[in-house]
Amino acid sequence: MPKLIIDDIPVEVAPGTSVLEAARSVGITIPHFCYHPALAIAAACRLCAVKLLDGPVKGIQMSCALPAQDGMVVSTTDPEALKMRSLVIEWLMLNHPHDCPVCDEGGECLLQDFTIAGGHSHRRYQGKKRTFQNQYLGEGIQHEMNRCIECYRCARFYQDYAGGTDFGVMGSAGRVYFGRFQEGPLESPFSGNLVDICPTGVFTDKTGRFRARYWDYQFAPSICQHCSVGCNTSPQNFQRETIKIVGRRNDQVNGWFICDRARFDKGYLNDPQRPREPRLDGATCGDDVAVDAAAKSIAEFVRKNGADSLALVGSPRLSLEGMVLLAQLARAAGGARLCYFGDPAQQQGSVAAARLLREENSAYVRDIEQAQWIALHALDLIEEAPMLALSVRKAFLAGAQIFLVDGDPIPARNTPPFKYTAVESLDQVPFEKGGKGVIICGAGKKDPDLLAQIASCGAKLVMLQPGANGFAAGLLAQEHAASPLADLVAARQVRGVVCFEADVPEGLLSGLEVLASADWRRGPVEAKSPIFIPTTTWVESDGTAINYEGRAQRFQRSRLAGLPLKGLDPKYYGNATEAVTLHPPRVHREEVPGGAERDAWQVMAQLIARLGGEPVVEPLEGKWSALRSLDPEGEGIRIFEIVAGE
Amino acid sequence: MELPLFRHNRPNRVVTFDEYREEGGFEALKKAFSGMSPNDVQQAVMDSGLRGRGGAGFSTGRKWSFVPRDLPGPRWLICNCDEMEPGTYKDRVLLEHNPYSLIEGMTLACYALGVRHAFIFIRKGYEKAAANLARGIEEAKKAGLLGEHILGSEHSIDLDLHLSAGRYICGEETALINALEGKRPNPRSKPPFPAVKGLWQGPTVVNNVETLANVPAIVANGAPWFKGLALNPEGAGSKLFCVSGSVKNRACVELPIGTTLGDIIDGACGGMRDGRKFKACIPGGASTQFLKPEHWTLPMDYETVAKAGSRLGSGGVIVFDEGHCLVEATLNLITFFARESCGWCTPCREGLPYVKEILTRIENGRGEEDDITILREHVKYLNYTFCALAPGAMAPLDGLLRDFEDEVREHITKKKCPFKG
Amino acid sequence: MIPETLKTSLKARVASALTPREAAVDVMKELQAHYGWLTDEAVEEAAALLGLSPLQVEELATFYEMIYRRPVGKKVIHVCDSISCWCADCDKIIQHLKDKLGVGLGGTTADGMFTLIPCCCMGMCGDSPAMSVGGVPYGKLTPELVDEILEMERNNR
Ligand SMILES: Cc1cc2nc3c(=O)[nH]c(=O)nc-3n(C[C@H](O)[C@H](O)[C@H](O)COP(=O)(O)O)c2cc1C
Ligand code: SF4
Ligand code: SF4
Ligand code: SF4
Ligand code: FES
Ligand code: FES
Repeated sequence: MPKLIIDDIPVEVAPGTSVLEAARSVGITIPHFCYHPALAIAAACRLCAVKLLDGPVKGIQMSCALPAQDGMVVSTTDPEALKMRSLVIEWLMLNHPHDCPVCDEGGECLLQDFTIAGGHSHRRYQGKKRTFQNQYLGEGIQHEMNRCIECYRCARFYQDYAGGTDFGVMGSAGRVYFGRFQEGPLESPFSGNLVDICPTGVFTDKTGRFRARYWDYQFAPSICQHCSVGCNTSPQNFQRETIKIVGRRNDQVNGWFICDRARFDKGYLNDPQRPREPRLDGATCGDDVAVDAAAKSIAEFVRKNGADSLALVGSPRLSLEGMVLLAQLARAAGGARLCYFGDPAQQQGSVAAARLLREENSAYVRDIEQAQWIALHALDLIEEAPMLALSVRKAFLAGAQIFLVDGDPIPARNTPPFKYTAVESLDQVPFEKGGKGVIICGAGKKDPDLLAQIASCGAKLVMLQPGANGFAAGLLAQEHAASPLADLVAARQVRGVVCFEADVPEGLLSGLEVLASADWRRGPVEAKSPIFIPTTTWVESDGTAINYEGRAQRFQRSRLAGLPLKGLDPKYYGNATEAVTLHPPRVHREEVPGGAERDAWQVMAQLIARLGGEPVVEPLEGKWSALRSLDPEGEGIRIFEIVAGE
Repeated sequence: MELPLFRHNRPNRVVTFDEYREEGGFEALKKAFSGMSPNDVQQAVMDSGLRGRGGAGFSTGRKWSFVPRDLPGPRWLICNCDEMEPGTYKDRVLLEHNPYSLIEGMTLACYALGVRHAFIFIRKGYEKAAANLARGIEEAKKAGLLGEHILGSEHSIDLDLHLSAGRYICGEETALINALEGKRPNPRSKPPFPAVKGLWQGPTVVNNVETLANVPAIVANGAPWFKGLALNPEGAGSKLFCVSGSVKNRACVELPIGTTLGDIIDGACGGMRDGRKFKACIPGGASTQFLKPEHWTLPMDYETVAKAGSRLGSGGVIVFDEGHCLVEATLNLITFFARESCGWCTPCREGLPYVKEILTRIENGRGEEDDITILREHVKYLNYTFCALAPGAMAPLDGLLRDFEDEVREHITKKKCPFKG
Repeated sequence: MIPETLKTSLKARVASALTPREAAVDVMKELQAHYGWLTDEAVEEAAALLGLSPLQVEELATFYEMIYRRPVGKKVIHVCDSISCWCADCDKIIQHLKDKLGVGLGGTTADGMFTLIPCCCMGMCGDSPAMSVGGVPYGKLTPELVDEILEMERNNR
């Protein structure tokens, strides 16, 4: 363990740590542009200069590229180092347009921060600025090349890290240009990360430009709900609208990055058509009225038909909290049936995966990255778990062999960023016992026997769940012996349903009475439901999700529930003239317009109370109480011990 | 004593394969293959005191010794014939007269280093040299001196040409490796040095044309002979000096290491042109500092020139006379470097155009006192770049500010170039 | 579209390289020789031959001085403006070329014959000032010699 001194502070770090990271470990941020922990060292920007006063290396050095060594005496404040850093800023500013006021990066711009930190403030250069022409890069990303400081982060991320081939660096000397061969949408499913990784405003999120400054945003740690990987994100909200979603670091899950679906697929959150108000028999009503009516309807139905002809239907869209309370609600309703899935095939696979995975065989991301071979079992990885494709790529670059077992041909748009060999069965994968292998498959719709066979190979396993919280749904379905709704309907065992964030196909619905439903989106259930209670989406709620590997992660409410201020219906304004000005309403009201949504589990808790069940204080009870203290900014915890410790 | 490099040269044509062999060509190869181990060859080069002729002047024997001995996997030798340093044309002259010394030298180097496959990286514009080499390689192959089972031995060595498309940075050895691999020719970070991790991640030696062309004579005649060629005790061998600028006969000549500057100009080049007076010269290609009249008797040898504050570099001697404005000359050099920056690191990519802008203003009579301060900052801080291009670019500017500050100030105070009417 | 014979020879060149990328500069130069400059179509053809994306070929093409990504005249005149040629008053030669051809640096003559581009040291410093026309080097230039060369190169298509 090298011991060194940085600005008079003794530091001890792991071998191989750079001086820059060593300094960071004691709270000293050395300005840097080209350095990014996820990328290979470029040592191109030369901003991270420090001076070594004593030890094995002396003089000005680039701290990002210099491994810490015993006996080094480093100064980050030596006049020569300061001068170097201020010159680097001056050089970068020779051509920079200084258009911060109209730059969407402003406020979250590394160049702004380090220009101030660099100490250069006075223009001496008398020459002209060079300019570039921008390219159309698709609907996701805006290009403004004049702001480029040539740190090469984008090109290194896009090609080296993410395996894209349609974006890179062209030209030489002062003419280097970062873009595409010809204008057109970026092809990589990870292209949106250019927004996060570019330290300046060259790439900004076109879907949320010029809406707010960084300091205006409300944000909180969150978890992407698009697939079962559970990437960590940070939704940036302004006036009840999710403007942008950016990646958040979690080395156990997604590293630094997210896929484009996570970033750009957010329109549904802000959709003005989202159901916002409780409804009773087609008319808007108060929240209590709706809940009372729902409780009454349930009680009556149970009295008339018996509890076991009623099913409480949830889905993998629910948070763990909602899933746990759904079971309590079923008890409070006198023993109603429980459904966490509609489709039997999906439930079978999900439950089997939740049962087969254990601490020992459930692959960590690093198991994927360090694997010697990886078998993708009948899987379109980019479709089902895009971010894992980047982990597989890391293994591939390190020499792993990748196989696609028994898979349909992968459509061109989903070409993964690694080469693979297609084989017909797992037997053709040269798997040696003791070798480091990983099998990745989708669990939903897979035959449990096949999953069991896959699990018996001795390889580490990735079994992707149908839906962000599918693992939890599988666990609870197993625990409560829940049946898929389709089975219950087929066996004519249920006649009525109460649905919570559940998507029931119309075919199933036709023979059922929907007593009440709660959801944040519209659909056939909501349309048919005489009683409707609006719920919050993940951006507006606190909750827990369990990803494919069994990792429980906490997401936090990042904004208030309610209609976005932008485009607010004139009925919420004081008068018609005011509405026309498009200024936020000046009238004071006690409730947020359209803000009646509550987390699904809270709706369930109210119903439990109305039905005379035990009052719910904390949704995570019993074994799940271990998750109450889950840190939303932490790495999450794998739940195998919790489940086993029952 | 006969100097090794030009001894086979014919006045206006390339020497033929047969002529080269009649004059003792490929004897060194036979000697090595019949009685010397690879180590013996390497030792001879080490003992000869041969230094790299590409500019840095690093001991060739030592560079070879950095190649790990028993690493599995292929290792590579690359001959650097990028020669784009302004004022340098020796490799072209050498190869246009004789491709065989290089071919033989590379074969010997491959033998010494255990290399199976070697490349010659040739700049754009040197098509004639490339044609000579291509023909020479075929001739050597046919004669069993190259290719499969050289001279009936178990050693096989292939030599391939890589024709580049013009960029000075390709001459930097790690950029050259990237270029050869078909990647963008930005330099790579060192360490790891190419000798450990180079071409396709294998151990790689990069040597200049002239360096490698010296090897046959060293192997044939022995290290002491080679050392003895130099005129001064520190030096070893001969050097190609390619002279341009204000001399009577601009020529590329082979002279013993240690020949004085005055003897190169007066002796080999017939003195200054049209009776002009020597003002300064750049002794080793564009990235070296100026030498002045007081250096007339300076022996041209790596150490001695370094002590005088410049570098022997590539041996491209550019001679300026009293009528030359050195501000404008330096501006010309900086313009070259700014254009040829690879664009990887900030100080070089942005700093060189900055310097160019300042020198342009000074030359045009719009210089300011502060400009000298800014120039000095660049001289110092452009040393902290990713590769040696920018520090090289600063050498003449450093020289200008060190030796000709008065001339720079005169531009500023008179608000015009004193050399222009 | 390139003729089959050229395609076959380029394929052979790529196949003989240790890695396809290594042949990239050769392929670009051959295609440039065929089209006169490296057209967009040529970039895409090179990409297909080398197993790269067009962008990855563009990354290389735009780096090198002697790969032209813009249309050029039949013969490109590269006139050296580096230090040894400067000592030999290349400025005068460059001015003469501009006047004679009626174009600025980077310009192509109206008849599409010549494009005038300044270039870095050609390794002809001993024969400075120097230029090359369509790849043929010329040294020790004087305005008169330049006129002769242009005349000859113009007739000698
Ligand atoms: C910008 C730059 C350009 C260079 N160009 C050349 C060149 O054209 N030819 C050459 O032999 N060495 C050149 N070098 C030096 C090479 O990096 C390397 O040191 C040399 O080829 C090693 O060969 P040697 O030891 O035989 O001199 C250049 C170095 C730099 C930094
Ligand atoms: S990139 Fe940063 S410094 Fe540049 S204009 Fe945008 S906010 Fe300002
Ligand atoms: S576009 Fe952004 S990330 Fe790419 S080099 Fe420029 S500043 Fe760096
Ligand atoms: S010093 Fe210049 S040539 Fe060298 S890496 Fe930096 S930008 Fe490229
Ligand atoms: S951060 Fe170290 S050189 Fe860019
Ligand atoms: S400087 Fe013009 S050829 Fe060398």
